[in-house]
Amino acid sequence: MTDQTVKVSSKLEPSSEQQVASEQQASSETLVQIRGLYKKFNISGDFLDQLKFKGGKIVREQEFVHAINGVNLDIQKGEALCVVGESGCGKSTVARTVMGLITPTAGTISYRGERIDDLNDKQLLPYRKKMQMIFQNPYASLNPRMTIGQTLEEPVRLHNPDWSAQQVRDKVHEVMFSVGIDPSWGERFAHEFSGGQRQRISIARALAVDPEFIVADEPISALDVSIQAQVLNLLMDAQEKRNLTYLFITHDLAVVEHFGTRVAVMYLGTLCELATTKTLFAKPRHPYTQALMSAIPRLEDDRPPHIKLQGEVPTPVNLPSGCVFHGRCPYANERCKQEIPQLITTEEGGQVACHGVEEGRL
Amino acid sequence: MTMSIQNKPTPVAPEKAPNAWQRFKETHVWHSFLKDRVAQLSFTIFMGYVLMALFAPMIAPFDPYDATQMDIMNSELPPSWNEDEGDPQFWLGTDAQGRDLWSTILYGTRISLTIGICAVLLQATIGIIIGLIAGYRGGRVDSILMRFADVQLSFSTMMVAIVVLAIFQASFGTALYQDLAMIMLVLVIGIAEWPQYARTIRASVLAEKRKEYVDAARVMGLGQIRIMFRHILPNTLSPILVISTVQVANAIISEASLSFLGLGMPVSQPSLGSLISSGFEYIFSGAWWITVIPGLVLIVLVLVMNLLGDWLRDVLNPKLYKG
Amino acid sequence: MPLLEVKNLDVSFGLRSGEIKALRNINFTLERGERLGLVGESGAGKSVLGFSILNLIAKPGRISAGEIYFEGRNLAELSPEELRSVRGNRISMIFQDPMMTLNPVLTIGQQMIECLQAHRKINKDNARTIAVQKLKQVQIPSPETRIDQYPHELSGGMRQRVVIAIGLLMDPDIIIADEPTTALDVTIQAEIMELMVELCERNNVALILITHDLGVVSQVTQKALVMYAGRVIEQGPTREIINDAQHPYTQGLMNALPQMAIPGQRLNQIRGAMPGLQSIPTGCAFNPRCDYVVEACTKQLPGYTVSGNCQVACHMVADMKKAQQAPEEVSS
Repeated sequence: MTDQTVKVSSKLEPSSEQQVASEQQASSETLVQIRGLYKKFNISGDFLDQLKFKGGKIVREQEFVHAINGVNLDIQKGEALCVVGESGCGKSTVARTVMGLITPTAGTISYRGERIDDLNDKQLLPYRKKMQMIFQNPYASLNPRMTIGQTLEEPVRLHNPDWSAQQVRDKVHEVMFSVGIDPSWGERFAHEFSGGQRQRISIARALAVDPEFIVADEPISALDVSIQAQVLNLLMDAQEKRNLTYLFITHDLAVVEHFGTRVAVMYLGTLCELATTKTLFAKPRHPYTQALMSAIPRLEDDRPPHIKLQGEVPTPVNLPSGCVFHGRCPYANERCKQEIPQLITTEEGGQVACHGVEEGRL
Repeated sequence: MTMSIQNKPTPVAPEKAPNAWQRFKETHVWHSFLKDRVAQLSFTIFMGYVLMALFAPMIAPFDPYDATQMDIMNSELPPSWNEDEGDPQFWLGTDAQGRDLWSTILYGTRISLTIGICAVLLQATIGIIIGLIAGYRGGRVDSILMRFADVQLSFSTMMVAIVVLAIFQASFGTALYQDLAMIMLVLVIGIAEWPQYARTIRASVLAEKRKEYVDAARVMGLGQIRIMFRHILPNTLSPILVISTVQVANAIISEASLSFLGLGMPVSQPSLGSLISSGFEYIFSGAWWITVIPGLVLIVLVLVMNLLGDWLRDVLNPKLYKG
Repeated sequence: MPLLEVKNLDVSFGLRSGEIKALRNINFTLERGERLGLVGESGAGKSVLGFSILNLIAKPGRISAGEIYFEGRNLAELSPEELRSVRGNRISMIFQDPMMTLNPVLTIGQQMIECLQAHRKINKDNARTIAVQKLKQVQIPSPETRIDQYPHELSGGMRQRVVIAIGLLMDPDIIIADEPTTALDVTIQAEIMELMVELCERNNVALILITHDLGVVSQVTQKALVMYAGRVIEQGPTREIINDAQHPYTQGLMNALPQMAIPGQRLNQIRGAMPGLQSIPTGCAFNPRCDYVVEACTKQLPGYTVSGNCQVACHMVADMKKAQQAPEEVSS
């Protein structure tokens, strides 16, 4: 720790082989496929609230929050796909839609080629065993009236109805042990644990049914720095041991750089850039990605000044026309204001939705 | 400012998890109970009432339902501390039919409490189920159920009760009515007041539903019924407890009012309300005790229940002590 | 004479389980125009320290020992009247949640004018002019129209700017900012932090920045205090602490950052968690989590060792320094 700069600059090299290896493995099989996903939330209240008196007539008016606006995403087996973006960009909505907690307005979600977005609760049950979720707030994601033993036994029992009580108990002990929680603490309630321990228990609950795919929605953002490292390490251990695939939602690019195989950057419900972590951090192409990366608080004192964006994120109620980012983009032209950019593949192998990149002016 | 010093993690955990009683002794409820004199006094008095009601047949010197123990010659005897006319046998005096007032009050308390508690159990069952469904399902189901509750609330409890009981009495006769009075009172008060529960439960279900543990249960694949009853319901118990104490008090008052109006318990099986009512005609002839003593008993009972309810609300309302 | 001097400050909380010390023996000084960072994890006592400077600790907390001098005057000896004029007038505070400062039913202008009139004899029009000028200073576009808006009409970043503008209204000498950007997005956080540095420099205002984010501290402050379990374990110039942390906890905190690890490899975690204030271990509070622990650490509270320009509360600082001078590093 005496020589910070050496560490920082050398950290990219040893990882390259590993990165390549995981990329090759990743391209082999698509686990989750998201196609043309749209989600809008009606925020105009119930029927009576929607009636407005305008120009001498009563009209029905509805307002929508456009949370996701046409997202296509493939999650490859064995990878950790990170979705980054600022609050309100729709990254959590994507996660919750994939998990079936929200029904999409349009578009499809497939798991190993089977469509799952139109299934009912009962039909979804076999997929619940394969797909699990870890939540952001460790203080709200555990039922305060249940002991952690009960919390962990519940999914095991539900998905393995023919197991004996002893088998269930063994399984619970195994997962508790694997996340570093002493199994003898099973009779305690969630409030008797610290935030980091609770997040471990949440992870144990997700692992208890032996899933192959885990959606993690900001799993470490509510934790302290030293605990964040512990939980992140735990997630990486679990990935290695259990051969997991992650969809990792976060706002923290530093974590992405460390954890992710590929990164998807979202802005106002659309995907603006998708690339392997290495490519993205070496050469971000989309102006928004560039601004986002320059804003990460760094320890070094010789960091480049951050790129200032004009204005604020527009509300997702009235989406801007054309490229959703054009109002804040320093490179926007007439075309950006009118035409919605599509994802194009760059020479580095990433995908960018930007007219500027397409035209070669960026 | 928020300073969460109370709920810091305990890194060194004792070997064995504490049992329920040890946990309870660590709770905020227990600690504030130890500090609050009013709550302690109210609780003691309330327990006194409950014991009186439970053991009425053993405590009471006479059986007020047994006509053979009544003697019309003993009617309207004043309390025994009135040395001129009182009879030491009847320390609170007797009523117009010569029943020992003390025994009648004991049995009356028993009936009043039973009706109050049973009516509230009925209210709670209906209200909790409707509130849970409305809050959890939301949307149209919610709108319909809650409009239904609003309609119910817009009739006053007394009006509904009077109309229903009067019609029942008129069409099935007083004799049958007197047999079924207790069940009828429970049904009428229970059904008239369920929206109180439904609204409270719905509000806390809406708050709980947004918490991530509910999403976690859905992701696990649990059914709606299990999520509602196993996961959400236990987390709405605090408000249920608070309104229950107040609602029992309200139900007792409703019953007393109905009895006072002659639509409640028959004179042969008097509750506190019908006892007050039966003594009312004699109040101006000097026999004040038949009305005043059961009246005081009723007032104290309702008062302590309301005090307990207030205290519970203060203690269980997290905004008041955590903020 | 330093602008602010905190001497041997102890803060205790009387709980039903007994009295616990939330802060133990805090000493630091702040010069005019200096930017100081209070770093630590949740529960380390950094917010308590921020509040106690203004003597704003809520019951059951109280300052149980020590003094706080503002321009040489002991704040504890001031009358409530004088204390009020220091608070808000000379020292202002910015909170994590802007809605803690803003009243949702008043327009921004009404709140700012009211605040000005409470502290100064000034008429409405002049107050409004000052308010507009302050809003301009925090780079709010078209402040003349924004001033008549309600807080809910503004975005999170704008609200925090308004709060900063309110903090600047009385031209204070010190601004205490408690996690001012934690609730905001990174791009907005960067802008607000840059703005605060600029404002402090231009107006020669001292800043006490309370945060858990080492990156923010590194960019904004000149001096830093690292806190652990109610105690300052390391203090000194920010650059020196960031580049050459002495205390094993500070080192651990820094190494735990994802930037410090090789991508795809395990992060260098610190084991365990910070103890609750009721169960602080004897000796050095960090000893159960420390890799360099020796017997003295479990028995004796370490005093402050001066190392370079830093003060470090660790028994092993001298030994570690020696080990570092040897060619190989020991920490890994």
